[in-house]
Order: sequence, then C-alpha cells, then structure tokens
Amino acid sequence: MTGPPVLSVENLQAYYRTRYFGVNREVRAVDGITFDVHANEIYGLAGESSSGKTTLIKTVAGLVKPPLEFVGGAARFSFLPGHDALATAPRAVALGVRWSTLSFIMQSSMNVLNPLRRIRHTFHDFAFRHVHSTRQEFGQQVLDHLARVRLDPTVLDAYPHELSGGMRQRVTIALATICKPRFIIADEPTTALDVVVQKDVLGMIRQIQRETGSSVLFVTHDMGVHAALTDRLGIMYAGRLVEEAPTRRLFAAPMHPYTQHLIASLPRIGDAGHRQSLEGSPPNLADPPTGCRFHPRCPLARDVCRASAPPIIATGGGHRVACHVVAGAGAS
Amino acid sequence: MWTILKDLIKYNIEFRIGATLILVVLTIAGLSLVSPYPPNVTYVVAPDVPPSAAHWLGTTSRGQDVLWQLTFAIRNTLAFGILVAVLSRLLSLAIGLVAGYRGGWVDRLLMSINDTFIVIPLFPILILFYFVLRDRMSTALLALIMACLGWAYDARLIRSVAMSIKSREFTQTSIFSGMTTREILMREHLPYVMPIVFSTTMNNMNWSIGLEVTLAVLGFMDIDTPTIGSMLYWANQHTAIVAGIWWWIAFPVGLVVMTFVGLFLLAVSMNEYIDPRSRLARMGGGVR
Amino acid sequence: MTALLKLDHVSKMFVRGGLLSSHRIAAVRDVSFTIAADKAEIVALIGESGSGKSTLARMILGIDMPTAGTLELYGRNVAKASRAERRAFMAMVQPIFQNPFEAFNPLKKLDRYVFMTAERFGGAAAGEAAQTAAAAALKKVGLSLAEVRGRYPHELSGGQLQRVAVARALVSNPRLIVADEPVSMVDASLRMAIVNLFGRLRDEMAISIVYITHDLATAYYISDRIIILQKGEVVETGDARSVLAAPRHPYSRKLRDSVLTADGPRLSASS
Repeated sequence: MTGPPVLSVENLQAYYRTRYFGVNREVRAVDGITFDVHANEIYGLAGESSSGKTTLIKTVAGLVKPPLEFVGGAARFSFLPGHDALATAPRAVALGVRWSTLSFIMQSSMNVLNPLRRIRHTFHDFAFRHVHSTRQEFGQQVLDHLARVRLDPTVLDAYPHELSGGMRQRVTIALATICKPRFIIADEPTTALDVVVQKDVLGMIRQIQRETGSSVLFVTHDMGVHAALTDRLGIMYAGRLVEEAPTRRLFAAPMHPYTQHLIASLPRIGDAGHRQSLEGSPPNLADPPTGCRFHPRCPLARDVCRASAPPIIATGGGHRVACHVVAGAGAS
Repeated sequence: MWTILKDLIKYNIEFRIGATLILVVLTIAGLSLVSPYPPNVTYVVAPDVPPSAAHWLGTTSRGQDVLWQLTFAIRNTLAFGILVAVLSRLLSLAIGLVAGYRGGWVDRLLMSINDTFIVIPLFPILILFYFVLRDRMSTALLALIMACLGWAYDARLIRSVAMSIKSREFTQTSIFSGMTTREILMREHLPYVMPIVFSTTMNNMNWSIGLEVTLAVLGFMDIDTPTIGSMLYWANQHTAIVAGIWWWIAFPVGLVVMTFVGLFLLAVSMNEYIDPRSRLARMGGGVR
Repeated sequence: MTALLKLDHVSKMFVRGGLLSSHRIAAVRDVSFTIAADKAEIVALIGESGSGKSTLARMILGIDMPTAGTLELYGRNVAKASRAERRAFMAMVQPIFQNPFEAFNPLKKLDRYVFMTAERFGGAAAGEAAQTAAAAALKKVGLSLAEVRGRYPHELSGGQLQRVAVARALVSNPRLIVADEPVSMVDASLRMAIVNLFGRLRDEMAISIVYITHDLATAYYISDRIIILQKGEVVETGDARSVLAAPRHPYSRKLRDSVLTADGPRLSASS
C-alpha cells in the first residue's frame, strides 16, 4: 500500500469530561493514538470494551459532543487538506464531506433506517443532496447500485420492519456506499447478526471495497472477523494502540503480550486443547495505571513498565509494538 | 441526605429559588403558631385598613388582620395539599406497581377501575358530595375524597414504568434469589418509579390546592376555617375589589402563586437529581 | 433412575395480534431431550435468532409454560407443580443471563443478591451463615467476598459480574444451571475464564449445564452434547466433538462453514 495515507491520525487525544453536581471525572478514552490508513485497504481496529475504539472513531468522524471533548492531536484526511481534524473543522466543511466522501456504517441498522419511511425514501433522504442529478437519474443510480451489491430491488418498497436483520444491515451498507465514498468507517456492523448472515454481510463489504478502492476503518472486538476480512490490524488497549501489523503477520506472530494472550485464548473448532484467559480486567479509564496500562496484568512486567508508557516502535515488516520488553528485544 | 441538599443548593439554581420560595411560605405558615388573634374570630381589629406599620398587610372587611389570617390560611391549605398528595400517592403506587408487575387479568381489572376514575368529572362530583354532606364536609373529609379521585392518572404512569422494569433481567435475578413479589416491588422497582412519584406529588399538590381554592371561593367548603380559598370567598362576599380593598385578594393570591411556583421548581430540580440515569452518571457508571 | 430434566415433545406457540386478526408463531416445535441425573454434563443448545433457544431456556427455568408436551424435573411435571414445588424447582435450576450489566439492579449493591439467595434457597440463616455461604460460593468462581462486598455493578467488569452471577446461582446448590449466552457480552480476553469455570462446575461439583449459545467455537470447547436448533426444531444432536467435526444436516454444515476463526480462510469478495 504505497502513496500518502487517506487518514493520518497523530497523537489523538479525546476525553470524556463530566461535571455532575460537583463530581468531576475525566475519562481518558483516547490517549495519544497514532496510525495511518492507506488507500484501497481495510484497516481493522480491535479492542475490548473500554479500550476506547468507539470513542476513537467518533472523534475521527468528527462526532464529538459533550461530555466527549477533543483534547489534542490530529486526524487528517487526505481529501480535506488544511484541517487537522473534522472535530475542529467548521461545520460547513464537515457537512460537505459527510456521506459523499466519508460515510459511516453503524452497528444497529435501526439506528439508521427511519421505521416510518420506505427504503426508497430513506435513500432519497440520505443521498440525494450529495448527488447532483435529477430525481430520475438518482432513481436509476440507486437501482444500479443495488444491482452491483446484489440486493433485490423490491427491497426499495419495503419498510424496515418488514426486512430481516441481515437484510436491513445490507441495506444500510448500500446506503452508506451509494455515493462511492473514499473512506468508510464501520462500527461493529455485524456484531448483532447471526453467524450465517454475518458472512454474507462481510463479503458484501469486501466486494464494495474492492470495486470502489475506498479505505475502510473496521472496528470490532471479534478477532475472527478481523482475521477473515482486514488487510492490516491495530490492537487497542485502554485508550492506547499497543500493536499494529498486516493481519496475517499479526496472527502468525503477535509480539505484544496482550495480543499474544488474546489470540491464544480464542477457542477453535477442531482443537480441544486447554485455553487460558487473562487475569484481571481492563482498567478503569478514569483512573488508569501509570506507565504502560497493561502492566498490572502482564506476565513480563518490569519496573520500567510501571514508570513510563512505552512508545510505539516499528520492528520491521510493517509491524509496530508498544512494549518496553518486547520492542527492546526486537529492535536489537 | 445533607450532602444531597448541599449539592442541590450549590449547583442548581431552580432548586435555590424553589427552596427559597417554599421556605418563605413555610415561615409564614409557621407564624400562625404565634398569632395574636385566634383564626375564627371576626372584628378584632379595625376593618378595611390598608397595609401600614400597624398592620403590615392591611385588614379585611371582617375586621381581621390579613397577615395573621394568611398564616392560618396557608397553613391549612398546605396541610390539605400534603394530605391529599400523600394519600393519593399511596393509592397510585400500590395500584400502579401491582398492575404493572402482575399483568394478566389483575392488570386488566385494575386498569378498568383506573380508567373509570379518570373519566369521572371531578368538579360536579365534588359539588354533589358537598350538597349531600353539607355541614359534615370538613377539610379532612374533602381531602380523603379528593385523594380517592386523584390517583388515576399517576397510577398509569407508574404502571408503565413498572412494566418496563419487569422485562429487565435483574427482575428475574431477584425472583431466582428468592425475593417475594412485595420485596421486589418495594426494593428493586421503587427507585425507578420514584422520579415519577415525586414530580406527580408536586403536580398533585398544585392540583388539590387549586381545586380547594376554587371550591372555597364558590362557597362549597367549611368557610369558617380559614384557608386561602375561604379568604377569597369572603373577599368576594364583601366585594373587596369593587370596594378597593385590593390587599385582601392580592396577598392570598400572591402567596398561593408563590407556593405553586416554589413546588414546581423543587419538583423539577429534585427530579433531575433522583432520576436513575443521572444517579448512575454521578456514581460513575454510564460512561463507557 | 429418573432423569434430571426431561423434555417430551415440547412445543410453545405464541399468538400475536388482537381480536380480529391474529397469527400464531411456533417458537418451539416438538423438542425432546433428556439430561440424566447420575452424570453431570454440559449440553449446548445452538441456534441463531428465531431458533427458539431462549424460549426453551425460559421453559426449563419455569418462567414460561409449554403449550404442548411435558417438561419434567426429576420426574415431576413442571406445569402441574404446586407453589411449594415451584419454589423447590427454583432452588434446583438457576439461570445465568446474557447481559452481565443488566443481571443486577444498577442502583443496588451486588452482595445483597448473593446473601439473599443463600438465605432463601441455600438454607443458611441470616447474617453470619449467609455470609459464609456467599464467601464459599464466590471463592469457587475465583472471587473473594471482600472484592464484591458493598460494590455496585458498574464498578466491576463484565467478566467479574458474570462470575458473581455464577456464584449467586451456586449458592442454592443447584443441580442444573441454564446459561443463556453467558459469554457473548463478555470481553474476549475474559471469556475463557467463565467457560473454563463451567467445566469445573461439571467436573468438581457435578452440576449439569444447559449452555445456550450461537458461538460454535466455545460450544465445541466445553460441551459434551450439542443440540442444533433451527426455527424451533431440532435438526441435529449428538456428541459435541463429532457433530461439529462432521456435521450432517445441511443447516449444521452452513453454520459450521460460517464460523470465522483466526486461522481460517480469508473472505473472498462475494455476496
């Protein structure tokens, strides 16, 4: 993947700050994250609950509302030169890119589809203003797009509740991609779906991505989905990026202790060997551990881990790790 | 308890204003204990004296000091409002919680009774009671009657909250922990229902006081016991407005408006505080 | 030897709609299986949404009643049980729910539920005895009473909460635990602790578990027997490892092929 990145995130920081009746809390959900997403690739972001991945994509997409605050850093899009982040850009700029260049696939289709409007009207509501053509032309564009993604055109006359969950999600994806956006953010799009439907929906996402050459930032906690779909994968833990590598390489040889444990604990059909889960639990982001946030649960923890947060270092082959112990050994 | 009050006073302007207003009202009501004039006796001072140094709020055409009459009036009116509110809360909580939790035929039966009560036209019924009971109609009896008529709307509200909580998984956990229905309703569901109970209490008080004032102004009450309504009744009887005795009407009305506004502001501000979602946010949960 | 749990041609029909138009939905159709009382086992109920697995769970727990067929616990028909018998059943069959954050009232402290179960179903007296019983149950799941005492649900992680839920279920000395998607909302790194715990319950405490899930991988890992449901009907059943290694029914095959694993093939662009 050569060429300048489509999305360049640099030391991004976004915190939740609440002031309720005198109780001030600051949750450091995204605390200094740096990564790039290139053209024509699917970049996966893995992490568990309270890893900050949802906050990260909200910040990148500019959906920053109190109590979430944009604190620092940058999330630059190549198609928006001159703006450090959508969150701080003027409203007109953000509106200009939404849906036509940058679109969002959400977890629940019912968060997107208006239950009182037929699908064809929803297409009109979302996409018509971005497409500079007449109504007839737009209607034809919708039909062409549905044919391309192999959705039956009769779906246009249905109401959302008449469709199954999987079908609704496919409609949502068609909706998000009709303007051929250059960047698609997908937030757990298949988590609520059955496993058979999930495979179809993921295939659809892959196909669209290949055809339009867009970049996809795919967030999910499901490692199996990452293994099957993504080109590169970043692992988040407690608001920080701890490892990043091309997907195949990451699964074959994970370097960070957290990633290693995570992958080792996944059960597989055909392998009845014992699986061990990690001790402890993810930290409270309002009061995270000092230094490396993983050190309380890490089997390799040393004094330096408690003292300072490890920087994320490239170790070759597109692989980056944030670990004092491992990076030290790998770099030498 | 004290920390809650301190927090509310510090951070919530609605609470500050509401609390101040109600404190003023309560102080005036409390002054009734030191009134130099007994409440029911008339012509103890010179009548129709405008507000002055001797009589701060003036005197009525019946020879009573407006200020001291007002203290008794607001005390009786407040007591009436509280009594109605408490009695009808108990009724609507009991019926709403049980109907929402049990469902089935119990729910249908209770809601049919509920809907009947909603449909009953209050005012004609109250007047009917007055004409039947006439002399025996005391404020306490009126309070009882109004409590029995005023629970219906809120019971339905409480029932809908109870129904939504019933479907949440922790209700099942409570059942499988061995809790009885009564325990579940009181300990698990009640905290979720409290915001509605609270705001409807204030509404209910406003409603009952308003109705009492209306009835008394029309004379359908025991007009010898001073209440805000009865003061206004007598003011009307003596055509106070026409005669220019504005202080007899203005001060009772002003005080009862102050009560209404104060109660409303208190309800609104405390409601936000008691609401489970805001409680959770303060405890630390909720933001993930 | 009477079986612990016996389902005999159990069906559950729901009627939706009003007076003039209604349609019947068969959530569960003619399901029969047995769990023996002498040997503890973990039976996985696999199915997607609409397969009827949650409805089955509710019937086994006694929350809903079958509209056809019989469901027996230790030989007694659950639908015809008296109130006292139903209470006894509750002590014997305990649930674990999917959402650990909803399993407990967010406004109340957690330890209350464990103490209460000890007092009402575990035969412990209030106070000291209940606390001892609770501490013992918590220890079995790898938590201490000190960690849990006085805590609210939001103070613990999903994995810890689910373990508290298991401890609460254990306090009544149940013979059967019905776990409805117990790990689907628990983080991947904490999941195996719960799944391994189920194995220990079966091996060390002889408790049978009905493990309801759509996750074939954990079902393969921990269950002895597996029952695959589609639209309310049983399509395949048998020993867990053999069924998942070589499924015979076309639906089972489709399920198995849709599972995405870390070492599986990459998705091709398809639709």
